[in-house]
Amino acid sequence: MNRLGKFLQIDRRWIFLAILIAVLAPFIWPMGLPIVITKPVQDLYNAVDAIPPNGEPLFISIDYSPSTVPELDPMALAILRHAFSKDIRVAVLTLDPAGYGLAERALEAVAAEFGKERHKDYVFLGFQPGISAVVLGMGINIRNVFPEDAYGTPLSEIPMMEGIRNYDQIPLLITLSGTAVVEAWVIYAHQPYDAQIGAGVTAVMATDYYPFLDTGQLVGMLGGMRGAAEYETLIDRHDAGVRGMDSQSVIHILIIVLIVVGNIAYFGSRKRAPETAGGDAAA
Amino acid sequence: MRALLPALSLSVSVLLALFPPAGRAADAPLSEVVRETAAPAAVTGLQARDYLDNNDRGDKIELSWCLSADDGAGALSVLEYRVWRSQAPDEQGELVATLEPGTAAHVDTGVTPGVAYYYRVEAFDGALSSPAATAGPAVGRINLFQTSRLPVLVLSLAFFAMVIWFTRLAARGTNLFVRRIPGLNAVEEAVGRATEMGRPVLYVPGIGEIDDIQTIASLTILSHVAKIAAEYETPLIVPTARSVVMSAAEEVVKEAYAEAGHPDNYNPDNIRYLSDAQFAFAGAVSGIMMRERPAANLYLGAFWAESLLFAETGFETKAIQVAGTANVSQLPFFVTACDYTLLGEELYAASAYLSREPKLLGGLKGSDWMKVITICIIVAGVVLTALGVPQFGRWFFTQ
Amino acid sequence: MNMTLIGTTLAALLTIAVYSFLYKDNPFYKFAEHLVVGVSAGYYLVIYYYNFIDPTVVSPVFRLRIGGDAILLGGVDWWMALIPGLLGLILYARFFPKIGWVSRWALGIYVGGYSGLGIAPVMQARVLDQIRGGALPVHALHTGQGWTNLLLVVGLLGTLTYFFFSLKHKGVLGGLARIGIVFIMVGFGASFGYTVMSRVSLLIGRMNFLLHDWLRIV
Repeated sequence: MNRLGKFLQIDRRWIFLAILIAVLAPFIWPMGLPIVITKPVQDLYNAVDAIPPNGEPLFISIDYSPSTVPELDPMALAILRHAFSKDIRVAVLTLDPAGYGLAERALEAVAAEFGKERHKDYVFLGFQPGISAVVLGMGINIRNVFPEDAYGTPLSEIPMMEGIRNYDQIPLLITLSGTAVVEAWVIYAHQPYDAQIGAGVTAVMATDYYPFLDTGQLVGMLGGMRGAAEYETLIDRHDAGVRGMDSQSVIHILIIVLIVVGNIAYFGSRKRAPETAGGDAAA
Repeated sequence: MRALLPALSLSVSVLLALFPPAGRAADAPLSEVVRETAAPAAVTGLQARDYLDNNDRGDKIELSWCLSADDGAGALSVLEYRVWRSQAPDEQGELVATLEPGTAAHVDTGVTPGVAYYYRVEAFDGALSSPAATAGPAVGRINLFQTSRLPVLVLSLAFFAMVIWFTRLAARGTNLFVRRIPGLNAVEEAVGRATEMGRPVLYVPGIGEIDDIQTIASLTILSHVAKIAAEYETPLIVPTARSVVMSAAEEVVKEAYAEAGHPDNYNPDNIRYLSDAQFAFAGAVSGIMMRERPAANLYLGAFWAESLLFAETGFETKAIQVAGTANVSQLPFFVTACDYTLLGEELYAASAYLSREPKLLGGLKGSDWMKVITICIIVAGVVLTALGVPQFGRWFFTQ
Repeated sequence: MNMTLIGTTLAALLTIAVYSFLYKDNPFYKFAEHLVVGVSAGYYLVIYYYNFIDPTVVSPVFRLRIGGDAILLGGVDWWMALIPGLLGLILYARFFPKIGWVSRWALGIYVGGYSGLGIAPVMQARVLDQIRGGALPVHALHTGQGWTNLLLVVGLLGTLTYFFFSLKHKGVLGGLARIGIVFIMVGFGASFGYTVMSRVSLLIGRMNFLLHDWLRIV
């Protein structure tokens, strides 16, 4: 087998090692690559910024589980910091049972950072299953779906929730999710009730939701860790999102190089040995 | 000298304050005197009615009025309008809104549908309120039909009508043409190659539940593959991730072998339930690929993140691979690592083509003609937009 | 005892145990995998009960309270909590062969209800609004946006044509379908790239956790 063909047989653990080095090196020697703000992120930032302080609350639905924390948690923290820095009230809920702990952790940490008071500046509504049933129910009356907050306090006794009945009193709802929950918010909240919906999604799902962005069904969108990094840049913070961007760029370059070299090796070795594995059935 | 004029004006002011000219209050300038005795003019033409909007839940009442004559008038300038709501005509009720000057309309949200309300609107100038204008009773009513959603109704009815029509045609035995999916050729070729090499065929029907439409489509194609495998006497291995799917697969394969005339060749040990856990199932199937070395791997059904694991491991074993799923996010992985991929709806089309089941055919034909309607509307929209006719888009703008 | 440090260290060790699979399958990886399955099952059970079953069914039916408000036994709210609760319990009848048929009634109501609620909004969100978004001005080809619009419309029509099964792909239809598959493949490429980015982000997130939150060296 020629050298090119041998390259295709390389033990994949060498590639794992190369990727590990590509991830670690920028953490230890940061490069500070510039982060350009894209329109979907800017639109979402503007929508949050436009909410009047100490008025109707921004709703954040933390609909993700630990498997997507690296991409979505930085978004949640950035949006919460933005809101609290502008004295915007926040109500957090979750449609994913695993999201309960993540939502509570993020909310309590950022609220403590800004000295915010529970029930006056923020409220944690907790978890409700049913996704579309919850989204639809909130369109009639939030209390039908969340009669109490996560700690058992009835919503009628929470000062900041006074007068907040349904989507008419919610200036913006942002859903952070790695699954099709975003679609449920658009279909069951935006379409029937004109709710203003923004989204933060994993990069895997971002391509699925660009059509909603183009038609205005989503106010704005953060896609993956890159979206979180852009939002952090807009609020002048240097957190997990921004920290990860150097590594992201280096790994992407490494992968591009591997793809190019792999293709050269593949076609180069095919020229010399036409019998290839797996067949080439016409696509 | 410079200090003389200010001193003089100060003295005059003090004298005027102490000894005001006749006809005015002792210590008030003209505007304040007038304010004490006259309130701003009332608003006129107050109307209260059920608010009609795109999404009327009957919980809004719309108010409109003509501005007070003293709105922006200077001396008696209105500072705000106050809106009161009650359920009795002679009660003031509760204050529901304070509005800026220049506001001539307001939508009162949060009323209970079906309850009669009475409204009062007053102009307030900072000290006094105008006489209240009253209106009522106004009742919020839930609309039976949202006219702005008419396009949704029309399209939905058209779609249902087409599906039902084609299903009935298929049930009556009419030959409904469905083009042969090229992927089916790839499936048959894969089974043929496995037979030549004397190695088994691996068929993974996805990890969805039995009620997932992709699993049902996959089992239809499994029946077809099992018949070919039975004819060629090629072993067929079917690992499943759901116990109910395993039972269904057993029935399908057994029947296929019987129809092909080789009931004795059916081996129930080849239909295996491995694990419900996603990655445990992926690991177990990878193990089968490495140990039993099937020459053809068919992945047809509902897949999620484990799709790339299957496709990669199968590629390593140099098997011919054909995949099909409607989970769009997994299609790139299959396209990259497999020899042929059925994209999305092609999976359903393949199962409709093979089974000729009326419901599957009816659904396929109905959605096909829905696509024709969609294409026509888009082309019409593009042409009309180019000709500067925007009304077209507004008919679809249902918000 | 700093519980945060212990928790972080435990999480870090489990992360390393899972990543050890990249070298070889081993007992540490298997332990971590089984642990996550068990812990998440227990965690979900508790969350479901205290956040959903208790306030929505148990509290209204047995304690006669919804949120902070008292409700009447036999009143509308009480029945509205009891009946769906019973329907949910009926779903478990499928485990008993003699009465298993009853669960189909509950399932029918559930599936029918969700389908009915979904048909109109999905038709609007996924079809009508996308049609509206597809009828773009393609005539302004002196601008970059005009070319983008043209590309989008051509790709949209080609893709729809590719998935048309009632006619053979021949002639003009075949040509349009071939254009469609090119756009589909470009879309898959973009989707694949995004997915690679997503997977890489997960790795970066874990490294960030190990280096920043655990070892504190960055």
